[in-house]
Amino acid sequence: MVFSSVLFLFRFFPAFFILYYLVPGRMKNFILFLGSLFFYAWGEPVYVLLMLFSTLVDYGHGRLLERLQGRRGAGLVLLSSVVVNLGVLGFFKYADFLIGTVNALAGTSLPLFHLPLPIGISFYTFQTMSYTIDVYRGEARVQKNLLDFGVYVAMFPQLIAGPIVKYRDVEECLHNRRSGVLEISQGLKRFCAGLAKKVLLANNLGELWSLIQKQDLGQMSALTAWVGIVAFAFQIYFDFSGYSDMALGLGKMMGFSFPENFNYPYISASITEFWRRWHISLGSWFREYVYIPLGGNRKGLPRQLLNILAVWLLTGIWHGAGWNFLFWGLLFAVALMLEKLFLGKVLSWLPRPVGMVYTALVVLLGWVLFSLETPSQISGFLQAMAGAAGGLADERGLYLGRQYLCLFVVAAVGSTPIPQEIAARLKASRTGLGMALYRLGEKVIPGALLILSIAGIVDASYNPFLYFRF
Amino acid sequence: MNEKRSAFFSVFIIAAVILSFTAADLVQEDRLYSEAENRVLASRPKLTVESLFSGDFTKEYETYVTDQFVGRDKWILVKTYTDLALQKKEVGGVYLGAQGYLIEQHLPENYTAQQVEEKLQLLEKFVEKWDARVMLVPTADNILEEKMPAHAPRVDEKALLSQVENRIGAHSCIDVYSVLMEHADQEIYYHTDHHWTSLGAYYGYLAWAEAQGFQPAFSPEDMETVAEGFRGTLYAKAKLSPRTDTIHYFPRTMEHIRKVTYDLKKTSDTCYEWSHLDTRNKYAFFLDDNHALVEIDTGSQEGGTLFVVKDSYANCLVPLLAAHYEKIYVMDLRYFNGRLFTFMESCLPEEGEMDVLLLYNCIHFLEEFKYVQ
Repeated sequence: MVFSSVLFLFRFFPAFFILYYLVPGRMKNFILFLGSLFFYAWGEPVYVLLMLFSTLVDYGHGRLLERLQGRRGAGLVLLSSVVVNLGVLGFFKYADFLIGTVNALAGTSLPLFHLPLPIGISFYTFQTMSYTIDVYRGEARVQKNLLDFGVYVAMFPQLIAGPIVKYRDVEECLHNRRSGVLEISQGLKRFCAGLAKKVLLANNLGELWSLIQKQDLGQMSALTAWVGIVAFAFQIYFDFSGYSDMALGLGKMMGFSFPENFNYPYISASITEFWRRWHISLGSWFREYVYIPLGGNRKGLPRQLLNILAVWLLTGIWHGAGWNFLFWGLLFAVALMLEKLFLGKVLSWLPRPVGMVYTALVVLLGWVLFSLETPSQISGFLQAMAGAAGGLADERGLYLGRQYLCLFVVAAVGSTPIPQEIAARLKASRTGLGMALYRLGEKVIPGALLILSIAGIVDASYNPFLYFRF
Repeated sequence: MNEKRSAFFSVFIIAAVILSFTAADLVQEDRLYSEAENRVLASRPKLTVESLFSGDFTKEYETYVTDQFVGRDKWILVKTYTDLALQKKEVGGVYLGAQGYLIEQHLPENYTAQQVEEKLQLLEKFVEKWDARVMLVPTADNILEEKMPAHAPRVDEKALLSQVENRIGAHSCIDVYSVLMEHADQEIYYHTDHHWTSLGAYYGYLAWAEAQGFQPAFSPEDMETVAEGFRGTLYAKAKLSPRTDTIHYFPRTMEHIRKVTYDLKKTSDTCYEWSHLDTRNKYAFFLDDNHALVEIDTGSQEGGTLFVVKDSYANCLVPLLAAHYEKIYVMDLRYFNGRLFTFMESCLPEEGEMDVLLLYNCIHFLEEFKYVQ
C-alpha cells in the first residue's frame, strides 16, 4: 500500500487512526503493530513473514548481547546478526546481479532466482542492524518487550521508504509518547505537504520524464535532454522527500519524532554539502556504521579517501543492484575526494552560486547514471545533452519546456527554503495583515493541497476507452 | 491557547475532508459502468486463499476502490483545471487550441518509417489494380496551424502526402490538403470532435469533383443545420468543452437517394439516421455510424458505379457523391473480414467500368488501412 492512494487515504488511514486514538495508552503499540502488519501484508502477503523473521532474529540477538554484557562471545553474536541481516538483503537484492555478472564474465549460464524484491527490505534491515550494533556498543538499551521492538521495525509510516530510523532515536518514544492536538495538527499538515509534493509535483514531472525517455535518443535535442533530466531531478527529490514528509507526519500524529531526511539538497554549493542535505538518514547510517568504524578521517588522508570511496560505492549499490548505481556512487566518491583534496577550498573562495552550479552539474550527471540503465542509453543521453545528437533545441524541446514551465517554477521554488521563509516572516510580522495571511494560509493550504492531491490520485487511474473513436 | 485553537481548527479541516469523503464513498453504491470513461468499472473482487497469497486480491481490491471512488468524474475535472491553471495546453491527448478548439494529438514517434512503408505498399497495389483515386484528408493539427499551441508536435502530413504522391503518381491523388488550407479560417473541423465538418467534407467533394471531371451538384447554400449542442470524442477525452458544435448536412442529397442498405440487411431511404442525434455520438447521423458495407442506390440512369474504401471521415462526404452515380458501395475495412479484391470484382457492373475512391484521414490511413487481397 502506498500513501498516495485512495485505499490508504480513505480506508486504512481513517480506520487506523480512529482505532489508534480510541484505545487506551498501553494498547496503542499493539494496534500500531497490527496495523503495520496489515499495511505491509497488503502489498507483501508472503514476505511479511520475512520481515517478522528479521524482527525475531534481531530481538533474539539483542537479548543474547544483554546476557553476554561485553564478554567474549558478544562479538560473535554481533557478527551473526550482521551476517543474517546482510545475508537476507544480499540474497534478495543482489543474488541475481552477482550471478548475472559471473555469467557475463565467465560465460557460464547459471540460472537466476528471479525473486521480486521484498518491499522496504533495504530500509528495515538497516534499521534492525543499527539496533544490534548500538546494543553491542552499549549505546542503546536492550528492548525486552517483543511488541515494542516489533513496533520499531514494522511501524508503517517509515517501513517501506524510510527515513531509516535508528533505534536510539525512537527508543524513548516506543513506550512513552503523547499525541495531543498540537502533534496531530503538525503531523497532518506535514502529511498533506508530503502528499502534495508526491502527487502534484513528482508525479507530473515524472510524466514529463517518461515522455522524454520515449524519444529517439539519436535525434534528441540538448534542450529536450536537459528538460528531461531536470524533470527527473525534481521528480526524485519530491517523490522521496514527499514520502519522508508523509512518514514524519504520520509518525508525529502518534507522537513519534523521526529524524529529518532532507534539508533542501538542491541549494547545496558542494557535493559534501549535498550529502549532508540529501537522504540524511542513509548518509548518517553509513557514516556511523561504516565510515567511522573504518577510521573515518582519523587515520590520515589516504585512508580517509579510501574510506570515502568504500562508503560511496556501498551507497551506490544500496540504491539498486546494477552497475549504473555503482558508477553513480563512484561519481560522488570522486567528487567528494576532490573536494577533500583541493576543490572544497577553491569553492569556498568562489561566490556561492558558482558552487551551486558545479553541484547541480555533478548531481544531474549523477541522475543520468541513476535513471538510465544501459551504457548505450547513458552515453546516448549524455551526447544529446551536449547537443551532439539532435542539435541545441527543437520544436519538441520548446513545446515540452513551455508546457511544464509553470510546474518547473513551482518545483524550483519549492525545493528552496523560500516558502518556509515567507511563512516565518508572515508569522513574525507585527502587522495585522501579515499575521492574518499566515493564519489563513496555515488553515487553508493543507486542505487545498489535500483536495488537489486526491484529484491527482483519482485522475492517474482515469482511463477513457472510446468505443466510438472513429 | 491561541495556538491550540488554531491547531484544532487545522485538524478539523483535514479530518473533515478525509472522513466525509470516506463516509460518502462507503455509503455510495457501486457503479457498473462509467458513462464519462465509456468503460466497465472494476467490481469487488472475490477473496480466495489463492488470490490472497498471490497478491492478486489486494491489487484488484485497490483497483476496485479507486474505480468506485465517490465523485470520480468530478475529481478528474479538478485535476484538469489544475493543469489549466499551470498553463498546460494539453489534456488527455488533446490540445487546447485557440478559440475553443480541441485538437487531437498525434505524436510523430508513434508512426515508424516502416509502418508508413507498409501502408504505401498496400496502397500502391490497390491503386495499380483498381486505378483508384486517393483522398487522404489531413487532420486538424496540420490544417488549423494557427489555432495549435506553440511548437506542439504533430505528424507531418504534408510530407506523408508527397510520399504518397511519389509512389502512386499525382494523377491518382486528390489534393484536399491545399483546399482545406485555403479555408482554414472556416469551420472545417469540429471544435469538440476529431472529424471534419460537413463544410470541410464539402470542400473535399469539390476537389474530388474537379479531379473526376464532374460539375459539382451542390453549393454551400444547400447546407442546413441538423443538430446543435454536439460534444464529440475530443470532449469525451479532455472533459472540457469551451463550446459546443453544430452539425450541418445537405438535405438535397436525399433527392438523389432511393435506397440505402446497411450490411446487406437493414435498409433506409436516406443516408442519414436521425435517431443518433439524441445520443452523444451525434456524428453517427451520417451513414448510421460505421458499417462494413453500405450500398446506395440512386435510381439515376446515367451514372455508373462507385466503390469507396473509407474510414469515418467519409461518412459525411459520401451522401454528396450520390448525385453522380447509379450505385455506390461503401466499405469500411475495419469491419470486413473477406478478400477485398475478390469482393470488389463481384461488385463490378456487367458492362465493365467502376470508379474507385479511397478516402481516409492521414492518421487513420496509417493506423487502420489494411486488407487481404
